Amino acid sequence: MKVIKIGAIWCNGCLVMKPRWGEIEKENPWLETEFYDFDESPETVEKFGVDENLPVAIFLDKDGNELKRFNGEVEKDELLKALEAFRAK
Amino acid sequence: MSYSRHSRHFELSRKWLLILGSVLIATFIGLFFHVKAQALEPKNNVNLYLFWGDGCPHCAHAKEVLEPYIKQRQNIGYQKYEIYYNVENQKKMQSVGEALKIDASGVPLLVVGDKPYVGFSDSTGNEIIERLEYCSVNACPDSVAEIVGTEKPIAQDIPSAAKENTKTEPTNSPNQSSTSRPDKYIDLPLLGKINTAHFSLPVLTVIIALLDGFNPCAMWALLFIITLLIGMKDRKKMRLYGTAFIATSAAAYFMFMAAWLNLFMFIGHVTWVRTIIGLLAIAAGGYYLYDWYQKKTGCKVTGNEKRKEVFVKLREIVKERNIWIGLGGVVLLAAAVNVVELACSAGLPVLYTGILSSTGLETWQYYAYMLLYILFFMLDDLVVFFIAMTTLKVVGIESKYSRVTRLVGGVLMCILGLLLIFAPQVLMFG
Repeated sequence: MKVIKIGAIWCNGCLVMKPRWGEIEKENPWLETEFYDFDESPETVEKFGVDENLPVAIFLDKDGNELKRFNGEVEKDELLKALEAFRAK
Repeated sequence: MSYSRHSRHFELSRKWLLILGSVLIATFIGLFFHVKAQALEPKNNVNLYLFWGDGCPHCAHAKEVLEPYIKQRQNIGYQKYEIYYNVENQKKMQSVGEALKIDASGVPLLVVGDKPYVGFSDSTGNEIIERLEYCSVNACPDSVAEIVGTEKPIAQDIPSAAKENTKTEPTNSPNQSSTSRPDKYIDLPLLGKINTAHFSLPVLTVIIALLDGFNPCAMWALLFIITLLIGMKDRKKMRLYGTAFIATSAAAYFMFMAAWLNLFMFIGHVTWVRTIIGLLAIAAGGYYLYDWYQKKTGCKVTGNEKRKEVFVKLREIVKERNIWIGLGGVVLLAAAVNVVELACSAGLPVLYTGILSSTGLETWQYYAYMLLYILFFMLDDLVVFFIAMTTLKVVGIESKYSRVTRLVGGVLMCILGLLLIFAPQVLMFG
């Protein structure tokens, strides 16, 4: 499983989520994540159809299929629950 | 011995001199007051013109202070013109303003002779009484009489027309007694007695400003510039550009609020203006509540083209080697961003300036209140900037706080909007 994170340096919510994801990644070394800047990665933005609120976290399975998507700020517990639920995929 | 006798003689002489001096001083004082009392004997009829608004606490205060004095003075004609509900009286007030070359946009406006008094406080009351006394013995010009269509006071022997000159005002205003709003005191520990009428406007200012501040419409540009500067690890530039950005944002917002305030002052606080502000406040409050109900957090990506243009320019500014050119760029861009984003948070400042314009304060007080507003409005920006300066990290403010401000702000705007329409006197702080 992989998580695609899309954010922007001007976005307040992205700044809030940055340390949360930092903690999660530190506590879960198995987790693979990729970050894309909304302004600098227009292809990724278009590929994943990001047209709502930033930041966006997209959970993908091994084949690249979307499992779950979070828009905006999300509590750490909620992210951990989703990670546990999709870890095997 | 000889010295002692001489000294005693001197003491006696001094005693007599003191008595004589006291008698002379008392005589002079008596004569002075006698002359003054004679001088104060009224010779002229004088008109006092009061342009007032139903529900305006300063107008009620002016009446409370002046009317008991006027009742004792047979030579003073008292003309009252209610302007909130009476269009004809509004026109008269405007004409008086033009004739006396004053800004006649606020009430109470009082005129004695050709001397106008805008606003009212206890010291103004004393000045007016002094002026009435003066005009009672010295002929004062009265150009208002012709405008409002009353009789010009003519120097004559007293008693004369006396109270006949006191007309019942030509107005369809509601019951006057409703305007009288006595001061309300609350007893607080440490702070003691506080007049709520004086206390509530600063409190309302701080609350609305904080609610407005947590709606970070123009904050994205500050975050962007701080992030770029942190990347360069240039503290000097960060401090300078960040301060310039915040100061320019504050100045732009101040000017925006001042423009609204002056517009409301210019239009005057007539019922339909108040109703429109009230309806706008309810609409904006409804939008805030809708936004809160949506439960969406994070940053909207709509309108990103405009942002991208700003980002390109900001990157160029930050890279600029000449610090003064860079500084000028930051100032211009900050002003542009804030002007563009004004519509994003127009609701609360418009409502606030609408309320502020109805308080009948002195001009400097309006601007002092707006400065207080700006200080609390910029608080979140200042916090983010201060943390970035000390830790070299950009922190975000969680959306849950801005959601709470959406809820509280929405409810507050709806309440204030309804009060503006149905009970405006509640919002006219003394």
